[in-house]
Amino acid sequence: MKFSRRQFLHTSAICSFGSLAPSFLQKTAFTAASKKVKTDRVLVVLQLSGGNDGLNTIVPYADDEYGRNRSTLRLQAPEVHKIDSYCGFHYEMKAMWEQFQDGHVSVIQSVGYPKSNRDHAGALRDWYTAYPHDENCETGWLGRSIEYANQVDHTDLPGVLVGNISMPLALNAERTIVPSIRRLDQMQFQQEPLSADIHKTDNALLDFVNQQTSIALEKSRKLTNITKDIHSSVEYPPFQLAKTLRTAAQLIRADIGVCIIYTALGGDGFGGFDNHASQRDNHAALLRQLSESVSAFINDLKHDRLLDRVLLTTVSEFGRTLKENGRRGTGHGAAAPMLAAGAQLKPGLIGQCPSLTDLDDGALKHQIDFRNVFAALLDQWLCIDSKEILGVSFDPIPLFQS
Amino acid sequence: MKNQNAAFDPQWAWESYVPSDERPWTLKWVGHLYRRAAFGASWEQLRQAMEEGPARTVERLLNPSGNTDEFETSFDEYESAAANSDSTEGLRAWWLRRMIQTPDPLKEKMTLFWHNHFAIDCGKVKSGVLALQRLRLNREDALGNYAHLLQAIVHHPTTFLALNAEKNRKVLPNDNFAKKVLENYCLGPDMVSEQDIHETARAFTGWFLIRNECRFLDREHDHTNKRILGEEGDFDSQDVINIILRRPDAAQFIVRKLYRFFISEVEEPAHSFLEPLVRLFTADFNIKKVITVILKSNLFFSETAYRKRVKSPIEYALEIVRGFEANVSTTHLGNDLKALGQDLFHPPTVKGWLGGRHWINSAALIGRCNLAHALISNSAPYEKQLAFDTVFEKYKCKSDEESCQFILNLFLQDDLDETVRKQLYRSTADKKPSSWLQRFTIDVLTCPEFQIG
Amino acid sequence: MVRNPFIIIALLFLTSLICLTGESEPLPKPSQWIPQDAILTFELSNPQALFDVILGAKVEKAITSVPEFQALTNENGFKEFLGVVHYLETALATDWKAAVKSLLGEGAVFSVLPEDQLVFTADSTNPDLLTQLHDILFGFAKNDAEQHGDSDRVKLKEYNGVTGYSFGNDEVHCIIGNRFVLSNKSNILKRIIDNRTNVEYESLSNLNHYKNAQMDIDPEAALTAFLRMDILNQVSGINNALTRNLNPMAALLAAGITDSLSASNWLLAELCIDEENLLLSTEIDGKLDMSGPMAFIGTNDRVGAALPMIEVPNQIASFSFFRDLYKFYSAKDDLFPERTSGLIFFENMMGIFFTGRDLTEEVWKEIKPEIRFVAAEQKFDSSTGIPAVQLPSFAVVFKLFHPETFGIVAEEAWQKAIGLINFTRGQNALPGLLIDRPVYKDVKMTLTYFPSVGEEDKSKQDIRFNFRPTLARVKDNLILSSTDQLAEDIIDSVLLEEKNPPEKISNVHSLVQLDVDRLASILESNRETIVRNDMVEKGKTKEQAEAEQVMLTRIMQYFNQVSLQVGAQDDTPQAELKLSLNLPAAE
Repeated sequence: MKFSRRQFLHTSAICSFGSLAPSFLQKTAFTAASKKVKTDRVLVVLQLSGGNDGLNTIVPYADDEYGRNRSTLRLQAPEVHKIDSYCGFHYEMKAMWEQFQDGHVSVIQSVGYPKSNRDHAGALRDWYTAYPHDENCETGWLGRSIEYANQVDHTDLPGVLVGNISMPLALNAERTIVPSIRRLDQMQFQQEPLSADIHKTDNALLDFVNQQTSIALEKSRKLTNITKDIHSSVEYPPFQLAKTLRTAAQLIRADIGVCIIYTALGGDGFGGFDNHASQRDNHAALLRQLSESVSAFINDLKHDRLLDRVLLTTVSEFGRTLKENGRRGTGHGAAAPMLAAGAQLKPGLIGQCPSLTDLDDGALKHQIDFRNVFAALLDQWLCIDSKEILGVSFDPIPLFQS
Repeated sequence: MKNQNAAFDPQWAWESYVPSDERPWTLKWVGHLYRRAAFGASWEQLRQAMEEGPARTVERLLNPSGNTDEFETSFDEYESAAANSDSTEGLRAWWLRRMIQTPDPLKEKMTLFWHNHFAIDCGKVKSGVLALQRLRLNREDALGNYAHLLQAIVHHPTTFLALNAEKNRKVLPNDNFAKKVLENYCLGPDMVSEQDIHETARAFTGWFLIRNECRFLDREHDHTNKRILGEEGDFDSQDVINIILRRPDAAQFIVRKLYRFFISEVEEPAHSFLEPLVRLFTADFNIKKVITVILKSNLFFSETAYRKRVKSPIEYALEIVRGFEANVSTTHLGNDLKALGQDLFHPPTVKGWLGGRHWINSAALIGRCNLAHALISNSAPYEKQLAFDTVFEKYKCKSDEESCQFILNLFLQDDLDETVRKQLYRSTADKKPSSWLQRFTIDVLTCPEFQIG
Repeated sequence: MVRNPFIIIALLFLTSLICLTGESEPLPKPSQWIPQDAILTFELSNPQALFDVILGAKVEKAITSVPEFQALTNENGFKEFLGVVHYLETALATDWKAAVKSLLGEGAVFSVLPEDQLVFTADSTNPDLLTQLHDILFGFAKNDAEQHGDSDRVKLKEYNGVTGYSFGNDEVHCIIGNRFVLSNKSNILKRIIDNRTNVEYESLSNLNHYKNAQMDIDPEAALTAFLRMDILNQVSGINNALTRNLNPMAALLAAGITDSLSASNWLLAELCIDEENLLLSTEIDGKLDMSGPMAFIGTNDRVGAALPMIEVPNQIASFSFFRDLYKFYSAKDDLFPERTSGLIFFENMMGIFFTGRDLTEEVWKEIKPEIRFVAAEQKFDSSTGIPAVQLPSFAVVFKLFHPETFGIVAEEAWQKAIGLINFTRGQNALPGLLIDRPVYKDVKMTLTYFPSVGEEDKSKQDIRFNFRPTLARVKDNLILSSTDQLAEDIIDSVLLEEKNPPEKISNVHSLVQLDVDRLASILESNRETIVRNDMVEKGKTKEQAEAEQVMLTRIMQYFNQVSLQVGAQDDTPQAELKLSLNLPAAE
């Protein structure tokens, strides 16, 4: 028997009100119903707000062009944790460099996109929606992924924002409510509701809420058990980011089905990485927080044998200009490296170092489109069909060990 | 596909409900009416409605007695004062406060309906004054004339701002704007062709937004012939709206949404079933007439409608506050409702809050229950706000048993499964006497039956 | 002389009886009885001083003249209460004020112990009155309990030679000699009874920290509070709060107080009171470490000296600080390590305004540590316009090391900032500021303002009309003010200082003064806004919010000024809060 599209949607428990379902989701439900989302895997996306200076993160210390263009910001060879004879990690990133040596951190070089936006709002929107230059796109790439996971697997709670920034467009979804938490107790019942033994009533809606209540109860209790257990042997440094990542680690440990976690370093607004002036010390302080917090997070997960399930990646709206300005800072640029952490990564540097001579209006040109990275994260990590999320097919970059 | 409506004769369904021995007027239906047509009710209101019967109660909701002008004027003033900002947080707080206190709740509920139907993210508008103007358009015609409302909203600066159509140049008609207006505000998805969209965009050329005001620049208007939905001529944007309003689909689209808002979001009614309402609406686009039929109907007071909607976060929270006849900090409440997915002035997309089952996932459910807990137990940020004991005193509950029964009547009209009832009493039996009534109330407000309405 | 020898015999007999019960000697000080793990202890050490004020005619007038109090007296509950008081007054043949004075006449102590344990003691000048009153109340309680069929609730019990009483679940008490002792836990009371003569007992008065704190107590102090920081600092929440990373402004203002608190064993607060003033001084034993990041509040390891505060007409608040911004910013990695958006944005902007100068080395280093702020009430004129929300004007006065050169740099920065504000406002289609260069007393100012041309409603103008940003420089004083009026008033004040250079106040790094009556008048003129805010912020009804507002203004009327002085003596931080009262004259 042949189903019409309309009929199909009515048989699906999720789309109980088909005619209001947006067309892109109808398509999703149609093409992907057989695929399985990997809900035991977690993707942690860490936003470096304000546009991180990639050149002073993974430093091409041996490149004369670098030295020539950065009279005060330049890091000399002894100030760098060397990856090879050309580049190395910023001096405050020792912890991450060590994880790099162990193969738990990889660097994806020169990531960006064509005709990239140079203002914060525009560039952020492009990264958030993954539809560059389409100001009419209202949902985020992770929001759509969350909805995809819900459609395919009835996954109850695929994504969470952790930390004290407001909900970014990246997580905006048409229908799924994505929680934003600062503390774990926001996802625990202050007073547990009655756990009705699930008996079928003649009201399907009531059955649904009953069922959700018992799912929520189970998750709330799992979190309560995790928070009771505070023996965690891994020390986190005293930074806000470390606290946030620790909360993320607890969410992962509680095993409540969260597979996308979003958080940020540098806050809301223009962002802490937007170093137009006096960059040297401020940037160093941020990189130290980043490096030590992420490293503690890796160690924590490793300790509990959870690292195999987790992949962390940084995103930032743009890199910075090669040349420093008169205020010992840098301007808005384009391509920059993304840092990835996990246990199944292809180790080392992924992609080519950026050219410091072939520039686009003072900024580095990208060699990897960020959507190719997203495709790897979606297809190969979360097993979400990236074409459904990104609109067109992008080849995943070789991010994982084969 | 099973359609329960098929069991009903449409004529009977839309006829006025008259209580009878088989279908008596009970507290259950009073609660149902106040959940749908208002934001819940106080015990006094429920009791009055019990005495007066359905006809008079619906009439009271449609045409509230007494002087509502004084209330509206003072709240208009509060809103104006709060609009003086880029953000809509102040407006949000005052609107919630208005929903709590209003003597005309159906009007506010319909304002919320239109706010959601004509959804835009006011974050893009960046002007409280404009956001308030739009809110007022929705409120003025909440139960008024749909044709007038649609024209006004489509031509309001906020629509152009939010849909990225500040400059509609002759050489660059904005198809995206036209598509979003046609599909989300006028007719529903997949109802128009690519050509209709493009020609509509051309009809809108000439509209420019200059210093937050709409200006029609004739030189930028495309005066050539357009063909839209089968009609042809040198149409401007107002003509387009009039063409749309001549289509029965336009009325059907709104009636369907009203059905979902007032009757049921569980199932999709057949075309023919809605036909009487569509015919009524097409005649003069009088919103109140359609709603009058819906609220008085046999269908409205039937199992097809009863508990067939998931309460939106606003409905959930406000029913608690109104039940306790309280006022709470709506600044904080606005924030909490945002976390639960319903941020006034900021729906997730131009499709509005899709709601229904999507209101509920485990995090949202935990959030709702914790909000109820915070309100009832007066914990942060709702310290010293909801005076829990006063209703028991006011309605003279003499014993703990009476207080429990009062809570069940007020919030669930005592309609709950016996096993749940037993659990409710059992769960509180071993608690300390000092706070157990509070715990009982929270149990009632967090049970699945209270999540739907 | 003695007419009746029997009386002497009787007296001797009585005395010997008292000796037999062992309570004849004067009781040890109450602190000898308080367990030493008491976290917070209030001691009424000089009751007379306190009674003179709070039971005095002026305070009585102040309370009874409040309409809310008069309303209260008409309520039934209050009338009942007055009835009871009157009954007791008759039964004890005294009046309530005299009774209070006598019951607490020898002092009182209230202590908070861990796990919500409380102790209260009161020493009476008249033990008979105490026992009489107690007997009456005990009778009341017993009757009441019997009426409610709960006669077990009220009981008495002998324990180690003392009668202990309880009126209900959460209360036990006893009377020993002239001392009344009350607690919410019977084991505390037992501990006290057991150790009432034990000098070795681990009591508060045997605690070294307590002894140290007592050394400098002002004999005039009516009330003291002793807080055991050593216990509190072990509570993780409090410890976190004290060591938590502060934001830059908080770190600058806190000036090491949080650090010192977490290094302290105790905090002592003393209250001296008379009808004109209320003086609260605090000291702690934690040393101020001036060698580390805290160096910014002083020079050469010593706490700096703040200038006297600036005074202007219509003043609401005045502040004077000693803060070395250069040292402060140099230690930013220790003081505020988080790099927030706000901080980075601030640095980016300062980089533009100061033409790429290094913020620490070339800007903050130019500013002397003596920094002052003033806030004043604004007077609006209906012809030029009255804003709907009226804000006070405020200004900061810096002193420059090189006024001739850096003064120009600062002025250029100011004009760039104004330009940037105008540019950004223009981007958002908002009206901008016009720039003017008026001269006042030979001082050329950069004044900017929003033209009110075209504004329709001059009685309810936009909030922006509160601001007329102005920069002016008088010698080494750089004045940044939110209005030209305040800038001119400060110029007057600073010119006077030029003639009579003020003397710095040594060992004080922060001075604050609030003029309460003017603050009240600002609140009054913004009443509507505040009431509305309370409605949505706190969920109040309009009537509730208005009533609270009225109440607040009324209370504020009883104060003239509040001033705070923070500094250090021999490396230990000290603070002094002074409230000057404005009580109505008694009839």
